[in-house]
Amino acid sequence: MGIRKVIEMINGMQADGVIERYAIGGAVGATFYLEPVATLDVDVFVEFHTEPGSRIVSPEPIFKYLRDRGCPMEGAYIVIADWPVQFLPAGSGLLQEALAAAVEKDVGGTPARVFTPEHIAAVALETGRAKDKARVLQFVEAGGLDLERLQEILARHGLSSDWEQFERQFLKQR
Amino acid sequence: MKLDLEGIDQSKRDFRKQLAARPIADKLRMLDALRERTLTIKRAPKNSPAKSRPDLRH
Repeated sequence: MGIRKVIEMINGMQADGVIERYAIGGAVGATFYLEPVATLDVDVFVEFHTEPGSRIVSPEPIFKYLRDRGCPMEGAYIVIADWPVQFLPAGSGLLQEALAAAVEKDVGGTPARVFTPEHIAAVALETGRAKDKARVLQFVEAGGLDLERLQEILARHGLSSDWEQFERQFLKQR
Repeated sequence: MKLDLEGIDQSKRDFRKQLAARPIADKLRMLDALRERTLTIKRAPKNSPAKSRPDLRH
């Protein structure tokens, strides 16, 4: 199974100290809570190791680790078990919070760290493309969000007006 | 024939709920299969059957 191998590889990378912590977001993360929706890549948010005294973060140790294990690079992606995987730094306050609040899920005996549904929705709302809004709507329709918790997250990160706009656009006429 | 649009919509919602409730390992396997299918469609020749087969043109 492709994605499961991706998760095993990332767990290995964490166990070997290449990354500190990680969480799966995006469409694959959403699949932990919703029905699967076709996607072509895996978004993995990570906290990069920094050298003592350095403020520069580099994904190179990740790429080296994976290259050494036979994973080829394809542009910004590294291909693990046929899946293009993008390692994204948790650069914003929202992503750092999402990473800290991520939950562990069991994938048939393999642990996987995944963003909470509210953080996936908040990140999607912030990203704001049509497919991201569709994902938020998918969560709303499935009743898969703690709306109070989502509102708190959005307020903390200055996204309340994005939610109001989303509500006006997609939810008010229901 | 009268279409029961509300019924159709409800059955779609029920199906989505059933899928969402499947074990995560199953759902990830479905993602693998969906990706394969999407790639197959993307890799298919750009010419539609109508363009490549004049006999199908109106």
